[in-house]
Amino acid sequence: MEINCETIEHLAELSNFSVSDAENKSLQKDLNEILKYISQLNEVDVSDVEPTYQVFEMENVWRKDEILEQEANREELLALTKEQKDNQIKVPKVL
Amino acid sequence: MKYIPTIGIECHVQLSTKTKLFSEVDNDARGKEPNSCVSPVDYALPGMLPRLNGAAIRYAILAGRAMNCEINAFSRFDRKHYFYPDSPKGYQITQFYQPIIGAGYVELPSGTKIRINHAHLEGDAGKLTHFDSYSLVDLNRVDTPLIEIVSEPDIHSAHDAHDYCKELWRLMCYAGVTYGDLYNGNMRFDVNVSIAPEGSSELGTRAEVKNLNSFRSVERAVEYEISRQSKILDDGGRVIQETLGWNDASGKTTGQRSKEEAKDYRYMPEPDLPPINLSAEFVAEESAKLPMMPKDYREKFGGVIKDDILEILLDYPALMVKLGEVDNKYTVLISNLFASVLLAEEKSAEYLNDLPIAKQLADLAEMNEKKELSSTATKEVFLKMFDPQMKGKDAKVIAKELGVMQENDLGALETIVDTVLAKPETKKAQDDFRNGEEKVIGFLVGQVMKESHGKANPSAVQEILRKKLS
Repeated sequence: MEINCETIEHLAELSNFSVSDAENKSLQKDLNEILKYISQLNEVDVSDVEPTYQVFEMENVWRKDEILEQEANREELLALTKEQKDNQIKVPKVL
Repeated sequence: MKYIPTIGIECHVQLSTKTKLFSEVDNDARGKEPNSCVSPVDYALPGMLPRLNGAAIRYAILAGRAMNCEINAFSRFDRKHYFYPDSPKGYQITQFYQPIIGAGYVELPSGTKIRINHAHLEGDAGKLTHFDSYSLVDLNRVDTPLIEIVSEPDIHSAHDAHDYCKELWRLMCYAGVTYGDLYNGNMRFDVNVSIAPEGSSELGTRAEVKNLNSFRSVERAVEYEISRQSKILDDGGRVIQETLGWNDASGKTTGQRSKEEAKDYRYMPEPDLPPINLSAEFVAEESAKLPMMPKDYREKFGGVIKDDILEILLDYPALMVKLGEVDNKYTVLISNLFASVLLAEEKSAEYLNDLPIAKQLADLAEMNEKKELSSTATKEVFLKMFDPQMKGKDAKVIAKELGVMQENDLGALETIVDTVLAKPETKKAQDDFRNGEEKVIGFLVGQVMKESHGKANPSAVQEILRKKLS
């Protein structure tokens, strides 16, 4: 897979980032090098190996359905946002 | 040309667990302030880890069994990435590859079976309110547990689409996994509609109408799409695959700008949640907790309660539970009383929020059976059982307060009959009856009823009258 200008633009759009032409170029270079490095793994034959989804061999880690006092309250959480209004987070108009 | 519609439906059901899917915060935000049911996990603060709610797994098993579905022993979670302010994490945790609920089917009241492809657990998104120049975000709904139920494209009419959604709603309510409040979005439907010329072996291009929240809007949206698409094909055009919104006021579907032009969710395994691996014993144990389902009630009451009345009553799960507690011999009487309230009274649904207890109903039916209450009086007492002032009182106490108990005491009735017969204005009727004019008995019974202020038992009165006039 080759990372080109369009790939970067597509990914940036998906994540709502703006990327300058210079950044786009340098990201292409970096990402292509990373992919090339990682693609060495393709040399290993894994056709008989179950894909690994989890690195810890744990299963069924569930909790009880009980309400616990939260460590942060609404005011503290809202204080982390850039802008708030009527106890809600205010964001630029989206639709 | 004649076209055959093909419809598949995806339904999101909000589960009524106490806490959210991935954090120990209150999941019931009804009537609560915005952002008051929010944990640092919902806010996606750095380092916060999801903690899976075991109750959501139990609810998913019940929901799956209600739809005759296989429960998959092994399931796991994935991240579905998208950028939108309703999701601080930047992704939704869902089950893309290995869902907990496998294939099954839902049987409509008509007997038609709609196959279920699968259903999976996932977290809901937050709620956005749009204003002129900005939007506001309420995160109370973030990670409310959902199951998304995906049907096979087995539906071929707007009517069946309506019935399928309604039956799903019933199943989820009877299984007890959701509050089932459609108005507040507890269940939401995405409907895929395509049409193809009759006899064609290929399906047409489908349009998806998103986010419908009533059975009626599902039905109307499907009707509209079928006619819109038919017109396009009749005119030689082509239906384009798109996502549409439904406008209830105009009765039309309209193109929606999608969240993301190119659907590229970059699914990846959720590394923070270990997989679910259910033993057969656990699944069997949890499945056994499934209460009576609509089909069980249809079996139990079929032939006893008329089909059309039963289908009305089935919309009220708590009522059916109550009906199941009533002695079999009173089933017809009590079901008719409930049906008459549902059909005739305004705000009937509100009426049924708080039902009479089984003993009140049994006492009422017994009084009716013993003719202590006329059928009119029985209904009157029944209605008073929903009256906040009378609620919880014994049927007999209510009947006495209303003064509608029938007089069955033969001695007392005889006294009243004697009073009436002594009145000069009844003299002619008495003579007529003795001369064989059978129908004047009605007049005399009426006079006695009047004298007793309507409390006398008419058949007992008639019996006494006949004896006295023979």
